[in-house]
Amino acid sequence: MINTATTLARRLIGMSLIIVLNACTNIPAYKTSPAPAPEPASIVVHEPPPVLETQPIAPVIAVEPSIPLPAAATQNFTLSAATRSLVNQATSQRQNKNFVQAAATLERALRIEPKNPLLWLEYGALRMDERNFAQAESMGRKALASATGDVRTQASAWRLIADSYKARNQNSEAQQAYARASTLSTR
Amino acid sequence: MKARTKKFLKKYWPHALGLLSLILLAMTIWVLSLDHQIRQQFEGRRWTLPAKVYAQPLELYAGQAISIDELQRALERLGYLRSAEVTRTGNFQRKGNRIDLVSRPFRFADENRDQKTISISFTGNQIEKMWDSGAKDVPVFRLDPLLIGSIYPTQGEDRIIVTPQETPALLPAALKTIEDRRFDTHIGIDPIGILRAIWVDLRSGSFDQGASTLTQQLVRSYFLTNRQTLSRKLTEAVMAILLEVHFDKKDLMNAYINEINLGQEGGRAIQGFGLASQFYFGKPLAELQLHEIALLVTEVRSPTYYNPRKQPERALARRNLILDLLAEFNVVTAKEAALAKSKPLGLVNATATHSTYYPAFLDFVRRTLRRDYQESDLTESGLVVFSTLDPLVQAKAESALVGELDRLDKNSKRKEVDLEGAVVVTAPTNGEVLAIVGGRNVSYSGFNRALDAKRSIGSLAKPIVYLTAVETGHYHAATIIDDAPVTLKLANGKDWAPQNYDKKINGRVPLVRALAQSLNLATVNLSQDVGLNQIATQFKALGLSDKPQAVPAMALGAVTVAPLEVAQVYNSIANGGFHTPLRAVRAVVDNQGNTLKAFPLEVTQVAEPVAMYQLQRMMVEVMRRGTGAAARTQLGDLVVGGKSGTSSDYRDSWFAGFSGSHSIVVWLGYDDNQPTRFSGSSGALPIWSKIMAGINTNSWDQPLPDGLHEAQIDFTTGLAVNSKCDKDGMTVVVPNGTDLPWRDGCKGNDTTLGGHTADWLRGIIGR
Repeated sequence: MINTATTLARRLIGMSLIIVLNACTNIPAYKTSPAPAPEPASIVVHEPPPVLETQPIAPVIAVEPSIPLPAAATQNFTLSAATRSLVNQATSQRQNKNFVQAAATLERALRIEPKNPLLWLEYGALRMDERNFAQAESMGRKALASATGDVRTQASAWRLIADSYKARNQNSEAQQAYARASTLSTR
Repeated sequence: MKARTKKFLKKYWPHALGLLSLILLAMTIWVLSLDHQIRQQFEGRRWTLPAKVYAQPLELYAGQAISIDELQRALERLGYLRSAEVTRTGNFQRKGNRIDLVSRPFRFADENRDQKTISISFTGNQIEKMWDSGAKDVPVFRLDPLLIGSIYPTQGEDRIIVTPQETPALLPAALKTIEDRRFDTHIGIDPIGILRAIWVDLRSGSFDQGASTLTQQLVRSYFLTNRQTLSRKLTEAVMAILLEVHFDKKDLMNAYINEINLGQEGGRAIQGFGLASQFYFGKPLAELQLHEIALLVTEVRSPTYYNPRKQPERALARRNLILDLLAEFNVVTAKEAALAKSKPLGLVNATATHSTYYPAFLDFVRRTLRRDYQESDLTESGLVVFSTLDPLVQAKAESALVGELDRLDKNSKRKEVDLEGAVVVTAPTNGEVLAIVGGRNVSYSGFNRALDAKRSIGSLAKPIVYLTAVETGHYHAATIIDDAPVTLKLANGKDWAPQNYDKKINGRVPLVRALAQSLNLATVNLSQDVGLNQIATQFKALGLSDKPQAVPAMALGAVTVAPLEVAQVYNSIANGGFHTPLRAVRAVVDNQGNTLKAFPLEVTQVAEPVAMYQLQRMMVEVMRRGTGAAARTQLGDLVVGGKSGTSSDYRDSWFAGFSGSHSIVVWLGYDDNQPTRFSGSSGALPIWSKIMAGINTNSWDQPLPDGLHEAQIDFTTGLAVNSKCDKDGMTVVVPNGTDLPWRDGCKGNDTTLGGHTADWLRGIIGR
């Protein structure tokens, strides 16, 4: 299936609109079982709103025609008591320039909540302090990939990526990343 | 007569005097040289200290999914003693839904932690709350880690040094009572003891009555062999006296406790009571009870003859004899001795000890460290290595591999050769290696297949082909490709015409089916369209150490690497397209507690997360409808993704894949590369799923990224269906805005709002 340029363009426009409508809904992942994996205690998951079907071939759920389209920003990542205490410990280690120990402490937190983007952002900030800008960017991208449904965290991730570009004098990349951060922030 | 004697003396006196002085001089030199040796041994080098390797510690925190039984088992593995009250280090008690414990002081790489009393309450199968002795909330707490081994030199002496403060007072008292009752007063040798021994030997006509003091035993262990010659005995006696001249009794006792041999495990000599305590009881010397101390004292006489694992009755009899003697000499009360005698040997159980030493994993640790350290640094300078091993995952990986290989061997035609295997388990997000099994003889430190068996990976290469295809933007799970015969001209001018596993031709199939059923023809056609060079580049980016040759057969797995390298590639897949170097070591600390080297987490994005998500979902379909489906009975509702691999003529059987928190690679084959009769699905998959089912893991549950949506297709043809026209349609993800070709009779009978809304949106945008 090779796309022609026109259908591609059409799709892009269509996609972006659907993304806007869809971006922040907490679309449930591929649930094949009634017993999902235990959620890490930290992630505050609000009840997912009804899923907006983006395809004419909807599953059986017959949706009442009067239901409004889902609103934005439903997922808000937070830290659990355990990871918060480790982040606090890491922060003071960072302030004392104990970068190796701060990294070890953040890795403890990441082992507890490997999918929490806030922890990846913390790790990225530590790498910025260490002037390891490439790794700071990578941590930002990791945070971004884990922040599905949380625009505020996505914006923070883009800001971290932008900072890392700026520190490396990659100004146009930095500008683009800042722009993405602010687009997300204003949503 | 007298005159003659006088004359004789007068004549020879100067000679005799000279001879005497010569002898004296020689003796002095000899004694001085012994003195030099003994002092050097004692003060200088003393012991070479092999690096100690720890497993990863167990982190406890509110909300953690661990049951009270699991925590109790974890504590028992660490040698914590269940007791009525928790006052001593290393004790715990369990009451109702609560465990109280006194943790051991421990120097982690990033924190020097004192002993701490802590209470943990449970609700259901998770930790509800933790608090300390002051009722203050404890948000997170790690137990001291399990000591899993040491990096000892080739001659094989291993030990853990203990200070007098770390030695229970009972041990020196018992040693003196049993081995050397006049230790506190003698001068290194014990004339009374020697006379008694000679008397006994004369009466019995044999030379088996020993009269060695602890000091003499120490000297013997330092320098000498066990050969019973007179000159050796003389040297030993002189050295013992010299030692006593220079050092006080307390130092000598401590030296003895750290020096003496107390066991043997393969090529590893168990030296000193510190290591022996770990070796036999899995806990620090300081925490031993009377009956355990008595057993260690038993081993002083002969660790082979009284080997408690091989000669339990013999060891028990002597242990009880020792306990009687301790009571007789008032070291303990008769009541204490009686109680201790009633206890079993109390060894850490055989299966645990069998695997408390992990040669394949330690081999990887050693290779990691060798990049930065000299061999002698590792074997001599007392480094502490914090590794990433998860003992529970390792145990499960070992038992699954060994158990399945035994079963498969029964069905094998080759009776003379054993089928071999290897396993690598990693944690995708941080690249930590949790377990390595290097062969079915898990305690043998020989050929490490996980690291060194370079084998053809077969269809494990396919996910990389499909990932690269999706990344081009021209393909998704429902894209229809051609599973049709293909003949390619190779560089050597020959034709290459691959076939499907079942030799069938399936025609037009969706991408997701081609991967799930591991269709060779579809994959070769796809790889030709996508571009071999791109695929090879992606392969390397995901974690191969060398870029594979971009030849047509690469798409079907003409890539020859060790399981560990496959684990690196599949870890990147499990980690959503982020490469993180596999690590077995977190930090290396010197014996003063200073971190010498840390191996921090490094992450590099090597694939588009959205493309990777699509690949992961296709790999989940492998487990539901494809070559991994047989795992379902083991795994129940656990959502996992994976891929089977079989090399030509069934020489290699692979399975690799992920859950939400683990990535596992399993390889099976013969060392001589002969055919095995097992495919990836029939050989490696049962092992893979047994491990996955046996460890504490989570379902794969990545949230659907922006830009994708779910659609339903017919698995066989890839045509779009809906629930009205096909109850068995499969759900796939496709990029938003994708138009799928409909199966006849399916289009247009859909009336839900979602469909309408999307149609409506598309209508607006499209025109």
